[in-house]
Amino acid sequence: MAKVITLNRSKTIPTPRSVKSSIPATRYANHLLAALPEPDWLRLQPKLEAVVLPLGFVLFESGQSLSYAYFPTSAIVSLLYVMEDGASAEIAVVGNEGMVGISLFMGGDSTPSRAVVQSAGYGYRVRAATLKNELQLPGALMRLLMRYTQALLTQMAQTAVCNRHHSLDQQLCRWLLLSLDRLDGSDLTMTQELIANMLGVRREGVTEAALKLQKAGIIRYSRGHISVLDRPGLAALSCECYRVVKDEYDRLLPPALLHERPADV
Amino acid sequence: MISISSAHSPLLNSLLASLTNEDFTILSTHLEWVVMPLGTSLHGPGELIKFAYFPCTSIVSLHYITQSGASAETAGVGSEGIVGTSIFMGGESTLSSAMVHTGGYGYRLDRRTLQNAFEHSPTLQKVLLRYMQALMTQIVQTAACYRHHSVEQQLSGWLVATHDRMRQPDELVMTQELLANLLGVRRESITQAAGKLQALGHISYRRGHIRVNDVSGLRRCACECYNVVRKELLRLAPSK
Repeated sequence: MAKVITLNRSKTIPTPRSVKSSIPATRYANHLLAALPEPDWLRLQPKLEAVVLPLGFVLFESGQSLSYAYFPTSAIVSLLYVMEDGASAEIAVVGNEGMVGISLFMGGDSTPSRAVVQSAGYGYRVRAATLKNELQLPGALMRLLMRYTQALLTQMAQTAVCNRHHSLDQQLCRWLLLSLDRLDGSDLTMTQELIANMLGVRREGVTEAALKLQKAGIIRYSRGHISVLDRPGLAALSCECYRVVKDEYDRLLPPALLHERPADV
Repeated sequence: MISISSAHSPLLNSLLASLTNEDFTILSTHLEWVVMPLGTSLHGPGELIKFAYFPCTSIVSLHYITQSGASAETAGVGSEGIVGTSIFMGGESTLSSAMVHTGGYGYRLDRRTLQNAFEHSPTLQKVLLRYMQALMTQIVQTAACYRHHSVEQQLSGWLVATHDRMRQPDELVMTQELLANLLGVRRESITQAAGKLQALGHISYRRGHIRVNDVSGLRRCACECYNVVRKELLRLAPSK
């Protein structure tokens, strides 16, 4: 039964199929999972389900009670707020460093924001009830998720102040860096329209800003593909918001050792 | 006549009021009733947070300051909340700053007591984590609001939200300068927006004071953000 989900009322995207993998879940593709002590990981592992997360898939809608929590591995998820008139603003980004669905463990069960896949890839999901049960047991998962929540809130708050004070040019740089951190390599598949939706600006603004970056040799942009040619250059043009949030993430959640990164799942 | 501002009771803060008897007993010997004067900085960015505060009649602004010195409020905390969440969330410090924007009273609690109590009590964890979500809701909404809405809408929403948090809504002791800092705009923008609201009869102000004359009028001038946050705060509020 195909469910149709709209992204900003301009696209319809089918639901993802869940890919039941015979390969047991591997922890190293997501930093939170990788940071779990062995016993906690062994308890959680059989309950994780590998899923495809296609572009535009809505993990949860505003006000919707969450059925799953997701740990992205190669996908990137955007937490957005969508106004009554359809105008959107991305508040935070979640990739392989995090989890989508913190309102499950905070107890609110739903939130006014929406979570949508902005860069297709894979992840793991776990049933809401399973996660809640796991959190009742004394263990590291709760502490880990609390630290992650604090990091995420920092990102959200920094977005607020960035939206208030910084320019679109700076914000585009910051956004590109945030995405790059969560991907392998320096290529993004991303339309200008999508970026405009994320940044909550008109598409023309993004075109202009991207052109400037291209002229400066920082990126190469062609038909929905962005290649970052000069990452330090990008960082130099970004506002401090990127660095500030990254440092705080690293402080709260020191990067786990990633032993191996399988290509899929 | 006993001034309500100095009669202290934990019931004046919703989180404290909702605690189980056991949880409250553990905290009560360490809770200190303190005056929280307008303008007090409770913590700055990167500082080890030594005390959590439970405002009762005071209201606190959580805000971020950029490298260039510009600031913007991300959330407000009144008697519905607690300031110093990183004490139990594990970070111990935070990038935000907390400043009292409406003077009054509250309780403060040392971090060790809060940390220990949190670690050992699932019921306390529940209450405080739920409040974290209420805080997150505000921050998210603020971020979206700063992207899309006008100063006039933001000022209206801020005034109603503050009015909601006041126990005995009265005149707000508030300069336009402070409002400008809180909302992260130039003072002229506040003057302009406040002027419009005054012309509509919703507020009246004199030097350093703002009085809300028409709450529903202000609500109409606010963007949807005010309602979204209010609804969520009510939904997430602890039951007594």
